Amino acid sequence: MQDAAGTAGARVNSEMDSLVRAAQRGDQDAFEQLVRAYDQSVLRLAMNLLRSPEDARDVYQEAFLRVYRNLHTFRFDCSFHTWLYRIVTNICLDQLRKRKVRKEEPAVVETSEGAIDRTEGFEEVSAAANPERVTWNRQLGQRIGDALEELTPRERMVFELRHYQGLRLRNIGEILGTSEEAAKNCFFRATQKMRTMLGDLV
Amino acid sequence: MTCDAVRKLIPLYYYGELTPEEEDQAEAHIHECGACARQMEAARALAAALDRRRMEAPASLLADCRTDLAAAVRGAPAEPAWRLWLGAAGATLAGFTRWRQPLGAVALIAIGFFAARLVPAPAGSQVSTASLAPSEGVFVNVRSAQPDSSGRVRIAYDETRRREISGAIDNPEIQKLVLAGAHEEDDPGVRVESVGLLKDRAGSGEVREALMNALLHDTNPGVRLKALEGLKPLAAEPPVRGALSQALQFDDNDAVRMQAVDLLTLRRDEAMVGVLQNLVQKEDNSYVRSKCTKALKEMNASIGTF
Repeated sequence: MQDAAGTAGARVNSEMDSLVRAAQRGDQDAFEQLVRAYDQSVLRLAMNLLRSPEDARDVYQEAFLRVYRNLHTFRFDCSFHTWLYRIVTNICLDQLRKRKVRKEEPAVVETSEGAIDRTEGFEEVSAAANPERVTWNRQLGQRIGDALEELTPRERMVFELRHYQGLRLRNIGEILGTSEEAAKNCFFRATQKMRTMLGDLV
Repeated sequence: MTCDAVRKLIPLYYYGELTPEEEDQAEAHIHECGACARQMEAARALAAALDRRRMEAPASLLADCRTDLAAAVRGAPAEPAWRLWLGAAGATLAGFTRWRQPLGAVALIAIGFFAARLVPAPAGSQVSTASLAPSEGVFVNVRSAQPDSSGRVRIAYDETRRREISGAIDNPEIQKLVLAGAHEEDDPGVRVESVGLLKDRAGSGEVREALMNALLHDTNPGVRLKALEGLKPLAAEPPVRGALSQALQFDDNDAVRMQAVDLLTLRRDEAMVGVLQNLVQKEDNSYVRSKCTKALKEMNASIGTF
């Protein structure tokens, strides 16, 4: 049973590798399939880190264009996912560092689907009838946002990849060019900072 | 193990990142120590609060990004593919009659694209250009209505003509229309029917794309479930697995998540470990949770929830 499952898992990886090889040979459809296998996670990562659809769009475009231009240099010494995420996290870290001199984020962002209230995720259906609850949720959202902003770009990245993207710390270390131990330390610091800043709320 | 030592491990323990030995020690301590158990509870509460700050990229943003990228990579026109199919279908409408005879499995498609209202035909005598006026079976959207200098009224409208055609589902033109039906914004019934027709044709890249799109972005759970059925034979393909994983994590419908977890856990896939661990922690549906736990055990991965 386990062997059968293992074989199937290996098949997923080998299918991904053959997609990469086809894309390296210039097969546009294969490239498109590669993009579509990962682009939603990439966009969500950028969106959650940068909280701006415009910036997320820039990250998406730059990351996948770099992949397109540099795919021939990929040598399969790590997974394609890790290689792609090295590119994406570098671009996002640059953006986060540039922003460190940051201005206050507006509560509402404009997208092509209209305005999105950054805090709307905090409002449950039942909260509609309870203004106090809505206010509390907004405050919580604001506080969490502030706490995340207090993390260093690297701590923020490690936390985002572990908590929101569900990656293992060993893999995160590999992506960020560091050891699993260093990723663990960084993650620990991030959670401690947030506990300190949000301790009274949770 | 002292309380201090355990508290340093709690965040890693919560996320299933300890070695098995550390995990056993931490667990034994937390079981015995009320203060550390409360710390563990706080870690859980913090994670739950953070979950609610998750920001999803709007579907239109993803579509815009893909269009930008396609344009940059290929110099492709800045239009989503299905709109191009629509354009092509419109251009060849005149030719549809030549294969009107039913062939095998028959698809009957009513072409009523986009929001449109049926407007009764005005009496011909009141209209100077009767030939241009809407008639029965024509849907119009009035864009402007203004008096002109002679006291008459000038109307600008778009019209959409309803036609019926039939043909085998593997006829390329029929397939294009069914793909357009899968995007019909106003009528979930049409989307369910269209996706249902497409589900046995998932071998084609365009159909697969439409099914993945329906799974991830359709607001109607019936449509999403039909799309899942169609994606079943492709559950080993990386792009499809990506879509299934998104559905498993973010779909608000239990039946969709139950189907998605079944398809994803058919195969051992180390890349899914983090996602499965998070779900064991967060998922409300006990069937989904138990499938995740089982898959993690089969991969000898930590369950990641305590």
